[in-house]
Amino acid sequence: MIELLTPTRSTILQHANPAVKLALFVALFFVTVQTRNIDFAMDQAIVYTLLLFILGGFPLRKTLLLVIPFFLLFVSSSITMVLFGKGDTLWWQWGLLRITEESFYRGMHLGFRSIAFAAEGLLFVSTTSSVRLFYALMQSFKLAPKFAYSFMASIRLLPMVWEEFLNRRQALQVRGARVKGKGMKGLAEHIRLYAVPLLSQSIRRAHRVAVAMEAKQFDGKGPRTYFYPSKISWMDGISIILLVIAPCLAYMASLSFQWFGIADVRYHP
Amino acid sequence: MTMIENSADAQNEEAIAAAVTGLRLKFPDERSFVFKDLSLSILRGEKVLLLGPSGCGKSTLLQVLGGLIPHVIEVPLRAEEIVVPRSRGYVFQDPDTQFCMPYVDEELAFVLENRGIKRELMIPQMRKVLAAVGLLLDELHVPVDSLSQGMKQRLALASVLLLEPEVIFLDEPSALLDPDGREQMWEAVWRAAEGRTLIVVEHRIEEMADRVDRIILFAPDGSIIGDGSPEWIFRNFRKELQQYGIWYPGVWEDFFRILEMRQTEQRSMMPGQQDPLLALRQFTGFRADHPVIEVQAAEIYPGDFIAVTGPNGAGKSSLLLSLMCLLRFSGHYRLCGELMPETAGARRKERKKAGPPSDRIGYVFQNPEFQFVAETVMDEIGFSMKTREYASSEQVDEKTRDFLHSFHLVGLEHRHPYQLSTGQKRRLSMAAAVVCGQSILLLDEPTFGQDARNTFAILNYCMEMQAEGAAIVMVTHEEGIARHIASRVWEVRNGVLKEGTPAGREQPEMRVGT
Repeated sequence: MIELLTPTRSTILQHANPAVKLALFVALFFVTVQTRNIDFAMDQAIVYTLLLFILGGFPLRKTLLLVIPFFLLFVSSSITMVLFGKGDTLWWQWGLLRITEESFYRGMHLGFRSIAFAAEGLLFVSTTSSVRLFYALMQSFKLAPKFAYSFMASIRLLPMVWEEFLNRRQALQVRGARVKGKGMKGLAEHIRLYAVPLLSQSIRRAHRVAVAMEAKQFDGKGPRTYFYPSKISWMDGISIILLVIAPCLAYMASLSFQWFGIADVRYHP
Repeated sequence: MTMIENSADAQNEEAIAAAVTGLRLKFPDERSFVFKDLSLSILRGEKVLLLGPSGCGKSTLLQVLGGLIPHVIEVPLRAEEIVVPRSRGYVFQDPDTQFCMPYVDEELAFVLENRGIKRELMIPQMRKVLAAVGLLLDELHVPVDSLSQGMKQRLALASVLLLEPEVIFLDEPSALLDPDGREQMWEAVWRAAEGRTLIVVEHRIEEMADRVDRIILFAPDGSIIGDGSPEWIFRNFRKELQQYGIWYPGVWEDFFRILEMRQTEQRSMMPGQQDPLLALRQFTGFRADHPVIEVQAAEIYPGDFIAVTGPNGAGKSSLLLSLMCLLRFSGHYRLCGELMPETAGARRKERKKAGPPSDRIGYVFQNPEFQFVAETVMDEIGFSMKTREYASSEQVDEKTRDFLHSFHLVGLEHRHPYQLSTGQKRRLSMAAAVVCGQSILLLDEPTFGQDARNTFAILNYCMEMQAEGAAIVMVTHEEGIARHIASRVWEVRNGVLKEGTPAGREQPEMRVGT
């Protein structure tokens, strides 16, 4: 899992300061959240997906693989709105299902925005290492080292939990322990059989790591130095320009090519 | 609770590195004291080994001396005086839970950052300590998880050296290492400890006992029964060392002596030529569609004790897992005369139907906790019998009591399996695995991290079962087992199984040409 998501390609976004990048992406998210224009939403989805291919940290094939589920995402996030949303211009009706013109476009709009979100998120994740991000947050945003290092330590422990889950599954197979009962009862049994051993192991491990960290004179206070400096370089300038141009480009495109031509998809009866 | 604490440089105690006077300590939920009025002082520059049975409180004492208790781990204690060294470093037992960062350089930097060392000075310092522990990496930005366990322990030692400690505390640092890793780690420790005080808690002392200045021997109740030079301790307390399960030098020889007396009686019982319990031809085990273990031909006969050896990651565990049908396999696999259906390439439905042959093979996992399924020790042993509708509940009860007795778990029937000691957990996991009378027992490094007493107890059970005609297949790094106890050795290298010969002794019961 972790290896799968480790970036292998080096792009300009990867060299940008993670704190700056985080701020930029939060701004981009905000823009996407506030988008009401369906053309703009679609253009954002296209532009960010393109950016993911050009500036993302994954090679082409892996990016393609990651983009396939976008289609599923589009359908799943738009379908409920398309089928059940409010609207006046009725196109098709069957029982509870009621597709209206308004709900259809609103659904499309939702779908495009989900893709835009997904592409933005992947773009950020694929170009940012968690360690660098926490170092930048500690230095630029004054995140308490206590939290930053706890997060970094726990990320290191995650693959071990997965391995233990597999071990536990094999052990249960060998012992012939079958989950009895279905529904809630089966779920409770699942939790008893898996959560207790995994949690007890994880808690013990976390405790040991914590003791080891404190034994290395980590007390969460006092002055510290940082191995990775949080520097601002010309790379950040370029990243900022690129990531500001991207939504602007999408906006301009939405003005010039009005495929849908709906400026506000919200329902106003 | 009152506590007086002085730093080492106070008054005229220059010579004392760490000390406690009149220490009383008790864990909140337990009835008895771990220590009652314990006094002990360790001089500067001394290399001291704390020895004692599991659970006598050695590690706790180490944490008190190093100031982890009560500052980091809160345990109520009372002492007239505790002298904690001003600068100190710890290496713990588990190589996997000492690091908080994913890369070697980041982990070492973590220590330097804590000390506020300037960034420019970091890399040279890292290189210096890595060289000091014999970790020669060309590139410092290496994932910690790509290192072997022994290298991880040396990395832990390197990060301790960055603290520039007066006193280095080692808490069973070699318990989870293989023989090579152990040797290299101690090599690094002696080099690092030059001019410093060293306080060690360890069971595996074959490699290092002769190099310490002083051994302090604890009784099970936490009192000191011996304090002196290694020679003096080994001369006067051999019986206690044996009792306490310590891996003192010569421990295997003592065990073999006891064995030899028994084996002469048993040898006549060894069965003659019989049909194999398990036979493999052109057998391949797969993990996520990659072949991980290949066996040209192999057989297991009743009364075999097979040691599976080989370097880490060679495929030893994969072999056991595929024999248990937990990994998919292809090829010919005959178990107790019955041909097992291939699972590689089989359909999901068929695979699901196959299931592990737990009625014929008992499996003991490396971590006993993962195989526990019941709430009490009693139910844990009875569990497999109940799921197979093996017998009436009285019979199950009776058999469970038998097993409780023979695995020395009497009196613990109603405890939760998690509340047992490590040795007890291991014994319980074995009892639960073999309770249905399976004719083959697979064990994945059952003696790993166990003290000598537990190890010999495990071996004793295995050999008893072997004498009764069961076959034992044990993955192990322990040379003593492969060389002297096993009747056959399987060597796994790069995913290929080869039949080896147990070096070092004549094998009257060895089957040749089977």
